[in-house]
Amino acid sequence: MNRQPVLSARDLHVVRGAQGRPDLGFTLSVEALDLHAGEALAVIGPNGAGKTTLLRALAGLEPECARAITSRSPRPVALVFQRPIMLSGSVAYNVRAPLWGARVAAAQTSRRAAAALRRFGLEGLAERAASTLSGGELRRVALAQAFVREAGVLLLDEPFDDLDVAAREALTLDLRTAIRDTGTALALVTHDLAQALLLAERIAVLLHGRLVQLGPHDTVLRKPATPEIARLVGMSNLLAGVVTGRDDAGRAVVELAPEQWIAADSDAPIGARVVAGVRPEDVKIDVGRGDTPVIGKGRVLRTLSDGSLVSVWIGWGGVELRTLLIAGRGLGHALRAGDIVSLAIRPDAIHLMRE
Amino acid sequence: MTAFDAGAILDATLRTLAVSGAALALAVAIGLPVALFLAQRDFPGRRALVSCVNAGMGLPPVVVGLVVALCLWRSGPLGAFGLMYSKSAMVIAQVLIALPLIVGLSLAATMALPRDWHVQVRALGVTGWRATWLHVREIRAGLLAAVIAALGGIVSEVGAVTMVGGNLEGETRVLTTGILMYTQMGRYSEALGLSAVLLGLTLVLAGALTALQQGRRA
Repeated sequence: MNRQPVLSARDLHVVRGAQGRPDLGFTLSVEALDLHAGEALAVIGPNGAGKTTLLRALAGLEPECARAITSRSPRPVALVFQRPIMLSGSVAYNVRAPLWGARVAAAQTSRRAAAALRRFGLEGLAERAASTLSGGELRRVALAQAFVREAGVLLLDEPFDDLDVAAREALTLDLRTAIRDTGTALALVTHDLAQALLLAERIAVLLHGRLVQLGPHDTVLRKPATPEIARLVGMSNLLAGVVTGRDDAGRAVVELAPEQWIAADSDAPIGARVVAGVRPEDVKIDVGRGDTPVIGKGRVLRTLSDGSLVSVWIGWGGVELRTLLIAGRGLGHALRAGDIVSLAIRPDAIHLMRE
Repeated sequence: MTAFDAGAILDATLRTLAVSGAALALAVAIGLPVALFLAQRDFPGRRALVSCVNAGMGLPPVVVGLVVALCLWRSGPLGAFGLMYSKSAMVIAQVLIALPLIVGLSLAATMALPRDWHVQVRALGVTGWRATWLHVREIRAGLLAAVIAALGGIVSEVGAVTMVGGNLEGETRVLTTGILMYTQMGRYSEALGLSAVLLGLTLVLAGALTALQQGRRA
């Protein structure tokens, strides 16, 4: 992207020290992060990785690193907290409140507040006391507060935390429409990968206070930089091995155990110790008709269904692989522990990482 | 029963309202900013200061009166101002009694706000005096409780105002000092009359403030 970013962080360092106890401290270090207008970026990472601190720094709420942040948007940067506070008063009062700081004329305040309420389906709640709202309604009011300011950059901290599935989906759709309509740049922090994928084109992975990978979401999902990132993005089959040679097609042959190999599209040198990562949806079973190379026979160890997908664990030699099937149909319905199945993985679905 | 001096009662009532009203206004004007500062800033000694404020809520008014009297006495550090036995001296004593109540109870109300309240308000783009106004608005129920407690504390107080005011008729006599004097003189009907006025006044003021506090609840 060669467009000018609306919000940039360069050499961002936030140090959270417990006084005199460096062991309890925490450091966030991000060399470079850019947000572009109309773009959605998801920041994922485990608890304590520094996601919230990063958002607060981007919002200008960490005074010590204000110089590391550059906003080029003429519109404000708005942050919606994980647990938004409400002012005592009605929903409409809360949605109007952010405009006091912006010196907006009364008529315009009313017009903008009405539009923000409508955008998030809050017209019916306008006169309700904010203290009586449910979790989902609270999030909607907080988002309306950001949109009433006509924010150029919207930063969301765990926006879907403790919402039920229906509320999550409704909020995701409203949010997607809202950012497309207004050209707002969005950065959302979440530990919910699925939700991040629904909204964001790019993913930033934060581990131990460091930005370890940043890229289009397909790249991060399929080519994670390290096994730790792979685990975080759901690449749950991680097989340690050594590159022992090249096959006829020039693919790297990885020995996982004596007499057990897989071939991967990779230029890893011979002798390299690697971790081969395979997403569960890329492990195919019982493919008589397909052209996916069969890697061998495996035995079903156990299955677990969540109602829509069945996770199947398969023992293959000394290795355990996990795959996903649609519940209630075909193999997803028929497989039982102990069944013998053929296993197939496309070489381009195998991603080699350095150990 | 001797002739009941309605003029004297009215005089003492108005003076009570003027002295305690001025003291309360000053205590809020000083105490509220102090409470807001203590709520938002952390600095070495803050905890000790808050402990002092909390202890000050139980400060014996007689001790306050003694300290103010020693300061204002002609030979005291503030003797040059000639404030002893004046309404100003009574206001000073009452401000000192009310101040810890205003600071302590307002601070307690602030502590009930979520921990990152100020950060979130700043993130909404509301800063400066507008943010301060939102803060005061948010703690208004607790602030009114502080005002009710402080008013109750100073309007019915007698020790300090006697020591620094002297109960001079037409100058520093308020309802409480009048009650004390008439009781000591054995003029119980006047003492009872003033007591009834004081009780009525306390009830009306506390009632009005309570109505304000409860009526504004969102």
